[in-house]
Amino acid sequence: MVGVGLSQYTVLGVLVFLLGALGLVIRKNAIVMFLCLELMLNGVNILFMALARARGNVEGQVIVLFVMAVAAAEAAIGMAVITSFYRNRGGVDVDRADLMKW
Amino acid sequence: MVVNVWYIVFLLLAFLILLSALGVLFFRNPVYSALSLLANLCVTAVMYLTLMGAPFIAMIQIIVYAGAIVVFFLFVLMLMNLRKGEYEDRLVPWRALLGLGVGAVFAIQTFLLTGEWKGWVPSGSQGANVKAISHLIFTRYILAFELVSVLIFVAALGAVALAKKKL
Repeated sequence: MVGVGLSQYTVLGVLVFLLGALGLVIRKNAIVMFLCLELMLNGVNILFMALARARGNVEGQVIVLFVMAVAAAEAAIGMAVITSFYRNRGGVDVDRADLMKW
Repeated sequence: MVVNVWYIVFLLLAFLILLSALGVLFFRNPVYSALSLLANLCVTAVMYLTLMGAPFIAMIQIIVYAGAIVVFFLFVLMLMNLRKGEYEDRLVPWRALLGLGVGAVFAIQTFLLTGEWKGWVPSGSQGANVKAISHLIFTRYILAFELVSVLIFVAALGAVALAKKKL
């Protein structure tokens, strides 16, 4: 259980978060953008877990539980929005959301 | 110099996590992206279990994230853009091999949990972790806990209201 310090976990969590943010920018499929959002949340969870372990208490793990619950709620709402979007626009590419574009 | 075995485990898991994260980004097929996210979450759960000594969070990660959220994503994906022809005629023998592999992994897990190799289960999974977390949830974070339940309830209602064709 020793040998892996806080800095390694921090690098990993930040990298996962950045990959998620990059995916949110470069992908056009709304569902894949949502997956990248989950990836960002996962990176934050890794950071919380690493900090909880480094500080020696479990408060970070409690926060991770709350993050998961919020992620579940967000996924439900997001999928409902995407379903409605798909029904109205005939696709899930975010390029189709051009109603307010001029 | 003795190389620390946990450090090697960490490097392997970190490599797998980053690789699957890249898979989420760069797979053309969204279903593969979702499966890659599933792999990412599972490897993260393994890291929580083995390196961070947090078995409860690891289990919740598997159950909630992999079991509920990713399956939900996959469900919506397959509801929407299932192009015909892309998923047919591909029942090749390696799927049977994959199934056999999954069965073997499950059997090994069962054996590890019940057999004489019980010592391989990482320490900390004896329930102290769960006790500490639940104590915190139901004392200091009780308000946040109740609010999260309200949030999920509202989200479920909102999802139904949004996805319905006509209210």
